[in-house]
Amino acid sequence: MRDLADLAVELALKMGADYAEARFHEDVSNMYMLRNGMPEVAGFVRARGIGIRVLVNGALGFSSLNKPDRTLLERRVQEAISMARASARTRKKPIRFSEERAEEARWEVKPKEPFDSVAIEDKMALLYDIDRVLSDEQEIGARIPFRLLELSESTSTRYFVNSEGARISSTVPRIMFLAVTTVLEPEKGTEQDMVQKGASGGWEALRAWDLMDMLRERLKALTKVLKEGVSPPKGKIDIVLGSEVVGLMVHESCGHPYEADRILGREAAQAGESFVSPDMLGQRIGSELVTVVDDPTVEGSYGYYLYDDEGVRARRRFLIKDGIINEFLHNRETAASLGVSSNAAARASGFNREPIVRMANTFMLPGDHEFEELLEDVKLGVYIKTYGEWNIDDRRFNMRFIGREAYLIEGGELKGPVRRPVLEITTPGFYGSIDAIDKNLSLDAGTCGKGDPPQGVPVWFGGPNVRLRGVALGGL
Amino acid sequence: MELRELAQLALKEALGLGADEAAVIAHRSISRQVRFANNEVTITKTWDDLNLYVLLAKEAKLVITSLANIEPDAIRNALKDLMGLVAVMKPRPDYAPLPEGPFEYKPISGLYDEKIAQMSDEAIDIVQEAINKALEAGGKRVAGTFAFGVEEASLLTSRGAEGEGRKTRATLVVRALADGEAAGMGTTCGTRLRDLDPASAGEEAGRFARLSLNPEPLKPGRYDVVFGRPACAVFFDIVAGMTSAFYVDSGLSCFIGKLGQQVASELLSIYDDARLEAGLGSRPFDDEGLPTARKAIIEGGVLKTYLHNSITAKRHGTSSTANAGWIVPQPWNVIVRPGDLSDEELLAEVRHGLFVNNITYVRFQDYAKGDFSAVIRDGVFLIEDGELKKGVKGLRLSDNVLNILKSIKALSREARQVSHWWMEWGSPAVVTPLFLAERIGFTVPTK
Repeated sequence: MRDLADLAVELALKMGADYAEARFHEDVSNMYMLRNGMPEVAGFVRARGIGIRVLVNGALGFSSLNKPDRTLLERRVQEAISMARASARTRKKPIRFSEERAEEARWEVKPKEPFDSVAIEDKMALLYDIDRVLSDEQEIGARIPFRLLELSESTSTRYFVNSEGARISSTVPRIMFLAVTTVLEPEKGTEQDMVQKGASGGWEALRAWDLMDMLRERLKALTKVLKEGVSPPKGKIDIVLGSEVVGLMVHESCGHPYEADRILGREAAQAGESFVSPDMLGQRIGSELVTVVDDPTVEGSYGYYLYDDEGVRARRRFLIKDGIINEFLHNRETAASLGVSSNAAARASGFNREPIVRMANTFMLPGDHEFEELLEDVKLGVYIKTYGEWNIDDRRFNMRFIGREAYLIEGGELKGPVRRPVLEITTPGFYGSIDAIDKNLSLDAGTCGKGDPPQGVPVWFGGPNVRLRGVALGGL
Repeated sequence: MELRELAQLALKEALGLGADEAAVIAHRSISRQVRFANNEVTITKTWDDLNLYVLLAKEAKLVITSLANIEPDAIRNALKDLMGLVAVMKPRPDYAPLPEGPFEYKPISGLYDEKIAQMSDEAIDIVQEAINKALEAGGKRVAGTFAFGVEEASLLTSRGAEGEGRKTRATLVVRALADGEAAGMGTTCGTRLRDLDPASAGEEAGRFARLSLNPEPLKPGRYDVVFGRPACAVFFDIVAGMTSAFYVDSGLSCFIGKLGQQVASELLSIYDDARLEAGLGSRPFDDEGLPTARKAIIEGGVLKTYLHNSITAKRHGTSSTANAGWIVPQPWNVIVRPGDLSDEELLAEVRHGLFVNNITYVRFQDYAKGDFSAVIRDGVFLIEDGELKKGVKGLRLSDNVLNILKSIKALSREARQVSHWWMEWGSPAVVTPLFLAERIGFTVPTK
């Protein structure tokens, strides 16, 4: 089908496209799921196909097919062009792409332990072993009546070609683990935990996660919160946020609103727009301690790539630098609209999706404090280590995160657990309240959703632990 | 190769390789989409897909696959791999055989419209009409998606189920903005072109956006709320989704242990009806080949059933409700029984409260309890003496699914089919009126 991708570009140009690109993807994934100790399902997906995108008279058309048939390919290329041409009349301003170097490259992630080097029995055995630990009421301290464990391995092989001469081939294996658990204490009710790990690479990445210990510790801590957690303090206090919370907050309140397609209104009907406008570049959004980057080139990361799905070479992007709005995330379309170059943020979740502006690995850079130093002059505060419920409005200005594992801070020391502290805060309120950042950078995996039809792409998000001064907790 | 031949080939191969049971779905679709923003079309898309889905069972062990490569050799190799996988799995204590066929499937009317199947460039005119109406009604910038397509499926099982069907569908979502914060939304959808009303969807989006101009902050607290249809669709999608036995058994539902109990106001009845004429989710058979039927999920506020496939049904000691999903049972068309008030009369019931047109980003602190919060948007208004008084900003819906269900005080009489992007729990469509609920919680940021 790779030849058909080349042919698609050739055909599109012959049929009148001003620009054409084609991506051939071959995606293989295996999935194993254990629910409450029972093998819920195992299976695999073998998908392949070609996605074609054309620019005609300043309008974009896309089509995809998963059958390697030349006649069908011609029909789909023709339709992409004819629909784009028909839609061009609605456009006052033609779509243009930024000028980029036509790269020719091949890149790949080589797993140290390929997925097929580990027996399926051993993969299932790992899930059974984890489930056994989680079912041990004495070990955890409470009953975990609901345990959903999922393991997936996938390998995406891609070939990108465009009418400017770019040709990029890549292969990336990824591994993902998800656990959803419910702690039950008859007198106190339930608390739930959801944790996802992910990486590019082979089975070696999973070994490094030490899943058994990680889950045991999380659930023991959550049990303590459920049994002993007190109501959070009222009024203005200091709040220390754990890496996991900081990571999701920067993903949601810095990554998303700095996506230039949202800023320009292209996602308005679904995910929404942004409180950030192009003229806010250079403006202060937070304390000078805050620097947030998005970096696809972090080796081993879940969001890893070296060239994006428009063939542009990836690099680290400094979204907030020393508290100043520094850079947006761009694909070639948004870059041309704002008169800059693409910074390689175009990603497509599969062959049958258009490449749109996405994050890769978004994180706040660490500071110079020790964790204990964040606590030491806090008279009264809360340390929110992990989160449960969270959301953010469609302009990415008004967000809320409820702590799962959280502790009281009194006189500079961590005390007992606090149950469900609600942090409901504006984006400038968050970045403007940070007065100390520790050295401990940690990153977590997620599947970021955006686009219509939705595109879930693998990402990391993370950060150090940070301290917010003088913030009241929310809730009713 | 025709879909039926493809399914036959895969079924024969699977049984030939030693599977005890197999179900096969061959599925072909051509889908199209016109996306727009800032009053312009941003991209047009076409998808041409042919996929094969296979479930195999051997010795009470289950495995599944999805294949895009439908060359006979590729199918054969994939099925061999699948048999290799099943060999190393452990048996399921809850294993249940596929339903014993053959079955007779009665046709459902109104599921196919050649005009939608053949539509291509003409879709631009429909989008243009919606944009123009939204602008006329007060929107300044209009965005949305018009998605439409045709699909056909052939299902065969080793227990003698043989089903075939084709359907068309179209969904138009229009979101208008009058400035950065003032937004409105309108939707229209159906299986037939004549079911669509792009002008009304555009008008509603534009009107709500205009009415939302200059929104004001409001104090956090508890308010009586009338939910608009996009919000009702999101909410009842969650309610119906949470009755899937898979979620019940995974701790991801607030209906655990509540069968036969009063879980909602007695005014509320919700049905799942896969046989709805011209329903977006209508289908004569489920993924195990069982004939579908209308059933009450909640009737008079009482939880009547969970949604089951054969395996979840066995686990619960009951029969399948024909909602398979090989892994996750799911609702088909969620239908909320209307009340007897007009939309305006429902609003008139509220002396001081809120109108919330859409809810998005519903996220749970505890699924088993039902505690959640959600972003409200696309027309959020203060109601004073039954009138939409002014736009409101900054509030977040923060409450509990069961509490809202029990707080329902009235429903309007006009139910419409709704489908949009923020329905995340798997219902293809919800047919819903507006509803009024009392003393619902709203919070605001503290800084």
